[in-house]
Parts: sequence; C-alpha cells; structure tokens
Amino acid sequence: MRKARMAESSYPVGAHDYASGAEELERLAAALDEVPRGALVVSGIAVGLLMIGWLGMYFLVFLPRGPVG
Amino acid sequence: MALNEDAILKSELRWAMVVGGIVAVILIAILYAALAMHINPPSNREYVDPKTLHLSAEFTEANLGTRIDPNGQIVARIIATQFEFVPNCIVLPAQRPVTMRVTSPDVIHGILVTGTNVNTMVIPGYVAQVHTTFTKTGDLLMPCHEFCGLGHSQMMATVRVVPPEAFHPGPDGRIACGQRH
Repeated sequence: MRKARMAESSYPVGAHDYASGAEELERLAAALDEVPRGALVVSGIAVGLLMIGWLGMYFLVFLPRGPVG
Repeated sequence: MALNEDAILKSELRWAMVVGGIVAVILIAILYAALAMHINPPSNREYVDPKTLHLSAEFTEANLGTRIDPNGQIVARIIATQFEFVPNCIVLPAQRPVTMRVTSPDVIHGILVTGTNVNTMVIPGYVAQVHTTFTKTGDLLMPCHEFCGLGHSQMMATVRVVPPEAFHPGPDGRIACGQRH
C-alpha cells in the first residue's frame, strides 16, 4: 500500500530514484537556493513581531506610566 | 540568491546589521526613557536597623503615612511587615512629585503600584525609596510582589491618588485616607 502511493507520487522519495547523479545535484542546488531566503523571511517575521511587541509596550505602557526613580 | 560562500556571508552580514540596528534602537529608547523621561530603577542605598524601627525617628507608628516634609517634599512612609502594610491606605496627589519610603522589620517584601512604574524590593535593613509623579487619579492597588510567607497573597494596600486641588493636608502636614478637611 505504502509502496503503491510512493510510486504514484511525483515527489522524489530517495536518491536512488533519480535518473542520474547530475540531476540529483541540480535538484539539491535548487532546493538549497531557497533555504537562505526562507530562513531570512521566517526570522524577519519573528524578529519583526518581537520588535513591534517591544515598541508597543514601550510607547503605549511604559512611557505613559510616568517618571520613577 | 546563489548558493555560494560569498552570498551566504553577505546575507549573514546583512542580518548582523539588522540585529545591530535593533540593539541600537533599544539602547536609544532606554537612554531616552532614563535621561529625558526620568524613568530609572530606584537605586537608593540607605541603612536602617530593622530591630528598632518602632524606636527610630522616621518609622515610628505616628510618623507613618503621607506628610509634607518641612522642605515641601511630599513623602509617604510605609512599613511592610508580615502580612500587611502600615498604613493600609495612603493618599498622594496626582501631577506632583512624591516620594515613597518603605522598609521592613522582618523579611523581604516588594511593592508595586498597579498602572504605574513604581516597583521596588523592600529589604530589612534598607530603606527603599521611590520618586514618582502619578499621572492618573483613583484607588490603585499596591500588593506585595515578593513571596513573604503564608499570608503573602493577602498582603496589599491602597494608594489613593487624588487630584492636586483635592490634596489638603492638615495643619501638621499630614493626610490620611478617610480624613476630611
């Protein structure tokens, strides 16, 4: 059953499915080309949300609460 | 983005610049709050003998609560003890600089006034002092925020912030909750 699904899928399931070593390297390079861009997008969104939260607390909560010392 | 060492190095350098920028923004914000808005952690270092607070000149029972000192400074003196604040309610004016002086005869306590930046530890042997200016009026809850024993959760007081025109100390310079002048 599992083997049948894998055979129908166009997604490569292992290195041995590739026609040649050159094609494998090409696919690998294409996938790795996307990795840094995706990492930057994910980390940019995460850090951006964190900064929005920090600045929101700073300007909307911390500063209006007045001086202390 | 080509997968080579140069491209990876460039992306790392760009990200490092972004992080450096964020750190700079946060540092500038902290310096602005400290220098322009006068928001700093309370840093008073002053010693007092916790065993003889009731005999001290400042923290005797009759001297607790809010008073206008001879130099015109509005000062609230409070003792934090297991498991209550003495006095339990203090009156302070809004829009005027005030000072809270708190100490403990027994264990470590802490105070915060809800909705304000007032927040400090109260350590036996030291006088915790906080200068602030309240911006809003109303009854503000002041709980103990440092676990001090089984009754900790019941240890809280009220800071009654009144409009400046409603702040009328008596002839002795004192004002307390429930007092009418």
